[in-house]
Amino acid sequence: MKSFIKRAAALAGATVVTMSLAANVLARESYDPYSYDRWGDAVSSQAGYVAEEFIDGQLINGLYEKVESMEGFDYDEEEWKQKLSLKEPADLFISYEDYLYICDKGNNRIIATDLDFNMVRYLDTFYLDGQETTLNAPQGVFVDPYNDHELYVCDTENSRVLRCDKEGNVLQVFTKPTSEIYSQDLTYKPEKVVVDKAGNVYVVVGSVTKGAVMYDRSGEFLGFFGANRVEATAEIIMNAFWNKIATEEQQARSVRATAIGFDNFDIDDMGFIYTVTQSSDVDTDTVKKVNPEGVNILSTLNPEDVTFGDHSPAYWSIYTKQSALVDIDIGPNGELNILDFNHGRVFQYDKLANLMFVIGGSGNQLGTFLSATAIESHDDMIYVLDSRKNGITTFRRSDFGEIVTNATNLYNEGYYNESYQPWREVVKRDGNYRRAYIGIGNALMQKEQYKEAMKYFKVAISRDRYNKAFEGWRDQILQKWLTPVVVCIIIIAIISAIIKALVKRGIIKLPKIQWPWKRRGA
Amino acid sequence: MLDLTQGQFVKHVVTHPFEGFEDLRWKKSGSMAIATVIVFILFIQQLAYNRLYGFQYYVSYDKVFNIIPYIFRSFGLFLLYVVCNWAMCTLFDGEGSLKNIYIVTAYSLIPYIAAYLIGTLLSHFLIKDEYVFIQVIEYIGLGWTVILFISAMKAVHQFSFIKTILLILLTLVAMVLCIFLLVLLLTLFQQVLIFIFTIYTELSYRLRV
Repeated sequence: MKSFIKRAAALAGATVVTMSLAANVLARESYDPYSYDRWGDAVSSQAGYVAEEFIDGQLINGLYEKVESMEGFDYDEEEWKQKLSLKEPADLFISYEDYLYICDKGNNRIIATDLDFNMVRYLDTFYLDGQETTLNAPQGVFVDPYNDHELYVCDTENSRVLRCDKEGNVLQVFTKPTSEIYSQDLTYKPEKVVVDKAGNVYVVVGSVTKGAVMYDRSGEFLGFFGANRVEATAEIIMNAFWNKIATEEQQARSVRATAIGFDNFDIDDMGFIYTVTQSSDVDTDTVKKVNPEGVNILSTLNPEDVTFGDHSPAYWSIYTKQSALVDIDIGPNGELNILDFNHGRVFQYDKLANLMFVIGGSGNQLGTFLSATAIESHDDMIYVLDSRKNGITTFRRSDFGEIVTNATNLYNEGYYNESYQPWREVVKRDGNYRRAYIGIGNALMQKEQYKEAMKYFKVAISRDRYNKAFEGWRDQILQKWLTPVVVCIIIIAIISAIIKALVKRGIIKLPKIQWPWKRRGA
Repeated sequence: MLDLTQGQFVKHVVTHPFEGFEDLRWKKSGSMAIATVIVFILFIQQLAYNRLYGFQYYVSYDKVFNIIPYIFRSFGLFLLYVVCNWAMCTLFDGEGSLKNIYIVTAYSLIPYIAAYLIGTLLSHFLIKDEYVFIQVIEYIGLGWTVILFISAMKAVHQFSFIKTILLILLTLVAMVLCIFLLVLLLTLFQQVLIFIFTIYTELSYRLRV
């Protein structure tokens, strides 16, 4: 992959100068940061986030002491040794009290730490109706921000979702729905859970493709939420055509097209649920922003503008694969942080789904991943959980990232003029950053400097914006020159009419001109 | 009557779609040089249309540039058409010689080239909403060329209208066949070359050992 990016970067010949400038700064990152140009080709870019630390179980303050002081602890026993660190952690969640919840799947426990990785909570035993119960390979954790920070745990292998308080007292258990809508042949392995403001609980179940299983506050099964659409491949269209003309019997025998269920989700403050679909076989609905009615809002944007993960040229090679998006997280400004399992990359998009940064890669070094499974963000930090490296990598936003974020926020709020300076700074640091040119162009357009704006939109290769700037520029030119030109034409017409009249009356005589092309030849 | 220079004849032919080419044939006029210049302008037009169109309408992928497609689309297709048409017309007792076909085909392309060049020029002055003006001009040019083209084929071979249409269709089929054979030929030659090269490598290895 790296070699590909280098090759692609070499292609962008016009920006080589800025790249070589950037190279000095990039040197310490263990991967090549890149972004995409107008054509979807990868171009070298600045790192928006810098990998800071790798936190494994040993580095969580208090975990060692806690496990050591537990009854029956024996350092020589493998099972206890594993408990000293994380084992195949599956999920990460940052609660509104700024605690980091780690779902330690291999050790069947939930660990909560503060943001400096001091352990604040250790939950391996839960109390259900006065009896002790343990987890079995839990895969998801969620803390309800609205309701007393209640903890929701997907107890996957026990086929249940637990709602419990801070001490681990189980308040409610969500199990397999008995409704007819939920086919009883299906297993119930809850993987991820979120809760909305109204207390509705959404659970991603591996075997269900119709969307998330949705319960109301009292635990009653409401139905499925936010299913993916079926991708319109040639085969599906063909089947739809045959079904149109087939009899009912034939239709019953034909294969039903089923959409692939989404694999992970997150909820933002507004109550929108963002879903990601991991499968590399589909391109539709890999990332969705679903409103409470179950409608995907991103599908109303121009589909050409909204692509997630690596663009096709990047994986059009035997060395690379199509992105497999495993987790999504919504940042403080509505940024979408999307985690790609196949290459261990984090794609950060702004709230309008424009790519901001690509962070990370696959490998063993700091900032790269073997099996990235979960992502969370807090302020200017991004936390990525790796289930094979058994730890969390923290990224902090770089100076460059700070400027871009600032500019993007101003721009998305409509403060084009205010975003002008930050965008200029971005261009100074990374000449490949296409959105900066668009930002500068829009600011210039607001100042009615259309000619300049056209220049920037041309660099950004943004046709529609160029068209608008061009229209403005043309109007300016017309306003300036239309009157003089019309006056000139009228004057010339009058003069020529006078001359003609004079010639007609024989007062003056015009010399005869022999135009070379008017010659009549043989 | 109709004592026109070669240059004037071009104008006459283009502005008189129905008798222009008959006059041209009657006067045994028409110049290879002018025809070749027209095809060259066609080549320029193809380039301009793809590379110099107004930025607000069309953005060309400018990281790579290959001139071969443009040569093929202008010179290549033109010559292919002329040769195929000539080949077909011999079967149909057409009267046109290779030279005549070459000339009239080129002449009939003039409105098309002109309209698209004007369109390319206008695209630098108009915004997207006004694209319809360019489109109208381009359609008029194209339609005019089609009329001229049929009239030219009709005149040069002295065919009836139906026979002309049939000839044009058959020419198109012949062109497709030609391209197919060319591709086949190229592939086969490639195979032969690879075969020879393999023998060469084999021998050179053996000689070394």
